[in-house]
Amino acid sequence: MAISTGQSARDDFRDIEQSPYGKPGEVISDTAAPTGTLTVTDESVLDSGEHQMTLNMGPQHPSTHGVMRVVLKLDGEVITDCDPVIGYLHRGTEKLGEAHRYAQITPWTDRTDYVAAPLNNLGYILAVEKLCGVEAPERAQYWRVIMAELARIASHLVWLGTHALDIGALSMSLYCFREREMILDIFESFCGARLTTNMMEIGGFSRPIPDGLVEQIRNFIRLFPGRQQEYSDLLTANPIWMARTKGVGIISPEAAISYSLTGACLRGSGINYDVRKAEPYLVYDRLDFEVPLGEHGDTFDRYLVRMEEMRQALRLVEQALDHVEAMDTPMMAYESPYVIPPHKGTMTTAEDMQRHFIWTIKGFNPPVGEVWQTIEQSKGELGYYIVSDGGPMPYRFRIRTPDFVNLQVLPHMAQGALLADVVALIGTIDIVLGSVDR
Amino acid sequence: MSDGNARETHNLNQEGTVGTGPADTSAGGSPATNEDARSTDARQVEALAPELDLADWSREAYFADDLERHPAVVLLNATLPDAILDIIRFRNETTIHVRPELYREVCRTLRDDPRVAMNFLTDLTAVDMLRLRTSPRFDVVAQLYSLPNRVRLRVKAGIDDGQAVPSLVPLWNGANWMEREAYDMFGIIFDGHPNLRRMLLSDDWDEGHPLRKDYPLRGWKEFPVYNTERTVPRLRTRWTGRGV
Repeated sequence: MAISTGQSARDDFRDIEQSPYGKPGEVISDTAAPTGTLTVTDESVLDSGEHQMTLNMGPQHPSTHGVMRVVLKLDGEVITDCDPVIGYLHRGTEKLGEAHRYAQITPWTDRTDYVAAPLNNLGYILAVEKLCGVEAPERAQYWRVIMAELARIASHLVWLGTHALDIGALSMSLYCFREREMILDIFESFCGARLTTNMMEIGGFSRPIPDGLVEQIRNFIRLFPGRQQEYSDLLTANPIWMARTKGVGIISPEAAISYSLTGACLRGSGINYDVRKAEPYLVYDRLDFEVPLGEHGDTFDRYLVRMEEMRQALRLVEQALDHVEAMDTPMMAYESPYVIPPHKGTMTTAEDMQRHFIWTIKGFNPPVGEVWQTIEQSKGELGYYIVSDGGPMPYRFRIRTPDFVNLQVLPHMAQGALLADVVALIGTIDIVLGSVDR
Repeated sequence: MSDGNARETHNLNQEGTVGTGPADTSAGGSPATNEDARSTDARQVEALAPELDLADWSREAYFADDLERHPAVVLLNATLPDAILDIIRFRNETTIHVRPELYREVCRTLRDDPRVAMNFLTDLTAVDMLRLRTSPRFDVVAQLYSLPNRVRLRVKAGIDDGQAVPSLVPLWNGANWMEREAYDMFGIIFDGHPNLRRMLLSDDWDEGHPLRKDYPLRGWKEFPVYNTERTVPRLRTRWTGRGV
């Protein structure tokens, strides 16, 4: 069975039909059928659909990126129906958010999408700042861009490593996690945590930028393009990779809009919608970057889009770092009553300590109203909807996670696909079950 | 789309239809009724087109201080005159409260009109307004977005407990899981939803709908005690603040 460039896996399936092992439905030997050959010869059984098999994939299947169950109905190796079952990781983050004060919710947002925690923090913090009318200083906004784009690269690296691992390129996961480690080291230098960072604060950053962090990021900027070229060399023109991804899981632009897809799933279908361009937040309107778009809407295009997004994210990091390196302005909007008072003096003067203590214990009371804030997360559009009744805790705290919405296109893509492609389809949506289930 | 292979033929869609922009005429889970409603709307829009052309469709109108100048409001006042109950602007975001029975028609009008073109359903959720007002109890909230105009609009419909609200699945397939989640968390019935069952909680969950405001934070069932032979008494702290 030869795999040539650009040939789809479906053509390979046809090759099997002409293989010496016999056609599906054909009994070769009287004694034993070769493994993997359908041996049903009774036409009535084939017509009645009784040969269809229900296969339960998950919830502990490694290729489902967490705990997700997919109930598949199979006709031979072709999927006729697909029903994703989620909720195994549901922790009630929205209910918890309604029982915590505004500043206490940030760590919960880490736990939704735990491979891109700074981005989740950012969306939530921007929503609260919008509700309260706080604007972070310019320098803090640049640092937010740097951390958000690094988190985007880290998230895409996890996606690339696991997606390629699912399809069969084992070494990709090792390379990708090696580079992700560098980003996690940067996070660790910046805020002390690696995965659930709890990095962003309402009003900016209260902690100083540690020494050596800029050099660390510069080192990463210097190293990463070459490393990414290695991934590209390994995958982009790889015949096996192309056979497994080209033409697999095609989403038309109309279907992408109808299914409310965002992120690379939408842009892979050629629709130009990036929140950073459409509704610029932070300082994205002052930075120069491009939004990559796909043409065919298949898995390969989404791969190309995400690879280009990593390059653009690195451009953004570099530009923002150039801006911010020489800046010596404040990092925190301390003049606002909604921002935590300065840590300075809390250990020496009683007044500072009291003010800090009261703010921490009582929180703050934002205006009555409701806001909806979206950001471009690594997986799509991440939205926070906060309804405030004027109390210290949100009255309604809603997280619109991108992969929860994106995942419902899986049955649409899986109709008529082959069983082996399901892992490719799950990987191409780029889900994290903590974010899907919340 | 034309990659020239067999995968292209698999665009089957059994949950609804692929709702698209104004050019789409095949919207609707039950084709006959939706087709009629769609064409009625289109006819209405066409009939009113000369008059509406006098209105301001520019981007500034979406953010004007005069809320009646908002293009969506202008359009709805012309096509569905009694649909809008209230218009609210907060932090430069516009919210329109509409009658629940006209909820789907409002969204369909906003989606299909080529000038407003709210063709993207970003989010659909609900809010339990138990502590904020007496009636109606729930708000069903849809966050619409216009890809051509780059503006957002929030459409709300207030319903009471047990009252059904029209499902948006005939308009957007993406509403499917969001409405299932709203049903799961709030117990809101979406009329016309093809598959209204629990989304995140298990199918046999018998404790009600957790995001309602009268649902305790720790659930209705007793909290399990694991260490029954404990000698030091357990300190019960009230860490939930408001109690719920």
